[in-house]
Amino acid sequence: MTSLLAWSGLRGQRTLLLLALFLLWEVAARLFADPAMIAAPSQVLSVLGPRILADPHVLAAVGLTLFELTVAFLCSVIFGLLIGLAIGASAIGRRGVMPIVLLLYAIPQAILLPLFVLWFGIGPLCKITFGFSHGVFPVILSTVAGLRGASPLLLSGARSMGASRLQIIRHLLFPHMVSVLFSGLRLSMTLTLLGVLLAELFVSTSGIGYFSQVFAQTFDPAPLFALIATLAAMAVMLNEAVRTVEHRFTRWK
Amino acid sequence: MLETRPLAMRAVQVAFLALLLGLWFFAVGAAHVHRLLLPDPVNVWVEMRALAVSGALWNAARVTLTTVGEAYGLAVAFGILIGFSISRSRHAVRLFEPILSGIFAIPLTLFFPLFILFFGIGTGSKLAYGGLYALLPVAMTSIAAFARVDPGLIRGARSMGARPWALLRRVYLPAALPGILNGMRIALVICVAAVLGGETLASTAGVGYAIKLAEELMDIPRLYAWLAFVVLASFALNLLLSAVESWSIEA
Amino acid sequence: MGSPPHDRERAGVVRIDQYRERASAAAPAVAISAQHITQRFQGRNQQHSVLALDDLSLEVHQGEFLCLLGPSGCGKSTLLNIIGGMASPTAGEVRIGERAIVGPAPRDIAFVFQESTLLPWYTVLENFKVAAEFQNNAVGWEERARTTLRSVGMEGFAEHYPNQLSTGMRQRINLARGLFLDTPILLMDEPFAALDEQTRMVLGEDLSVLLARTGKTIVFVTHSLAEAVFLADRIVVMTARPGRIKAITLNPEPHPRSPDFMMTPRFGELRNELFTLLRDEIRHTVAEMREARDRYAEPRNDA
Repeated sequence: MTSLLAWSGLRGQRTLLLLALFLLWEVAARLFADPAMIAAPSQVLSVLGPRILADPHVLAAVGLTLFELTVAFLCSVIFGLLIGLAIGASAIGRRGVMPIVLLLYAIPQAILLPLFVLWFGIGPLCKITFGFSHGVFPVILSTVAGLRGASPLLLSGARSMGASRLQIIRHLLFPHMVSVLFSGLRLSMTLTLLGVLLAELFVSTSGIGYFSQVFAQTFDPAPLFALIATLAAMAVMLNEAVRTVEHRFTRWK
Repeated sequence: MLETRPLAMRAVQVAFLALLLGLWFFAVGAAHVHRLLLPDPVNVWVEMRALAVSGALWNAARVTLTTVGEAYGLAVAFGILIGFSISRSRHAVRLFEPILSGIFAIPLTLFFPLFILFFGIGTGSKLAYGGLYALLPVAMTSIAAFARVDPGLIRGARSMGARPWALLRRVYLPAALPGILNGMRIALVICVAAVLGGETLASTAGVGYAIKLAEELMDIPRLYAWLAFVVLASFALNLLLSAVESWSIEA
Repeated sequence: MGSPPHDRERAGVVRIDQYRERASAAAPAVAISAQHITQRFQGRNQQHSVLALDDLSLEVHQGEFLCLLGPSGCGKSTLLNIIGGMASPTAGEVRIGERAIVGPAPRDIAFVFQESTLLPWYTVLENFKVAAEFQNNAVGWEERARTTLRSVGMEGFAEHYPNQLSTGMRQRINLARGLFLDTPILLMDEPFAALDEQTRMVLGEDLSVLLARTGKTIVFVTHSLAEAVFLADRIVVMTARPGRIKAITLNPEPHPRSPDFMMTPRFGELRNELFTLLRDEIRHTVAEMREARDRYAEPRNDA
């Protein structure tokens, strides 16, 4: 009885829906689809162990990607914060430099890939810098937004109690900025991931780009699916990690 | 968002860009930065004119623009449709919305090899990739926009005898339009970026492919020329979108 | 245009003197003295400037509960801010005792605003601690904090974050913080305006009880006639913009006042008197708003 109740809730329905999709995929893959293009979930699962997780080369490639991601993300946060503080601190910065930053943000950065490879080679540096160039923007934007947005009502309240300028910065401006910053962190993680992945796929001489190409060119799509599934799982976990950190620091919301 | 004294603002920006250009000339001239990394701006300009004159610019742009146009059209049409269907039941919203936003959080770029696998390296894969990537924000904002339509308006129109099609046209769409337009704006930017990215990664034609080709052939001035065109085009697109946004706010 | 309000002012002055004579024989000590306060807000040019307060003088007595009552836009909040040092008047001076008020005076004046000014990223107790630091009065803050929280019935919520509480509870805590600051003067700008009627009544009653105990001087801005009569010792009725004092009504009912007071005939009389005084000012304000709207409307083609 209790198991039935558990399944009838929202989470249960969503799980059922996903299971149904998987079932559909399995049936379609086995019966209709071209086996050179689509692998069934069962096949994917069966190769996941031996071909992906147990293969030291593939695992190394995935690990390298994770490393590049972490470095790029941390750089995005640190430098984004510094740049954002520099821009947001003055009116010239906000009104003059910020529009340029926004225009740069609007450029479809994927086209810059060949340029980054030209400048930084085909090693991890290129992937890290490319990921950084994606992830730094949301951090800059939310830092600048955070510096401005402190509520005038709260400022009045603090002033009326005799708060000094330093106290206002410490107890009002800074916490406000941090809270806005955190909301930009998840977007930064997503974009950093996007950048690193793009770069990895572009450089197909090593890393997951290489393996994607190799798996795609054999007529055995199961390992490719398995690789992508692994990376997707990694992406979801990273996202959740950032979200957990975000929640821990913004419990008061 | 950014207000007061637009003239002073513009002056700062123009000065900044002039500074960048000056730095470029300096880096190439006096600072002797390697020509393979940073070409002479004059050469880039010459190359830009050559591309424009020879028709190469237009050929590549045509491929990219048609792909973007088709992908975007499909994404908007299906996105609004899906968004509307899901918005009909609050239960469906709570069920599907997190799934959609979850997929959006995992960059679809991960699945790009699959698109190549299924559709080959022709424009079809870029169309599917860009279309799917742009579909998500349209669907998500449509769900929110349609779900938030004031039920009072709907009841009022129904009581006056409005039939489903008229209801959709006269009540739902206008009410949900601001939200949907917002999603469409995001989707356009995403679609352009996705198609260009896809072309850069694996393609046989289009602007992204031209850029990649230039790099492979180590024709650096040409590479920069293409980049300059894309940058200018993206600025123009950005200005256009801002104009549309402020026009729609006034309307 | 409206009629020149000189006759109203004259009437107001007469009534002030009238009531002052009726007040107690010994002149009460003055806590706050506001003399010839004029406040003009500059627009983009001379034509756009707004005269919010016009040569207004007021004395607030020690230990009294004074209400500023008037139609919207009459400048009562502006006056409160000037009295509290949160704004500078175009002309005129505010004194507390010998001291002129030119900025916030955190040891003498505490504010309670219409909306909560609790910092959302700190717990209730942490907010009190930070307030004590701002005020430079951190000695023994925790004991004082818990005491004031208890006096408003919120001692169980010391570890909560403001967003976890209802609006009514937040305003109670804002009130407690105002008391916690332990200043002789408390200025309150429509603190109950954002609350529903029942919460207002309950809080109003609690406030009355608290004040009977503490003996602070309180200046309270409100829209509500009932609130003014229930809480205040003296009610200053202001004119429509530009704000001047139209009349001052006395309310000698002793504190603490129970809700029964609201059912006495005296309550009704006072309320009616205030209404009569206000009615013309409200009409005047509405007429001005209509005029302003017409002035900016499209000129119609009826030549």
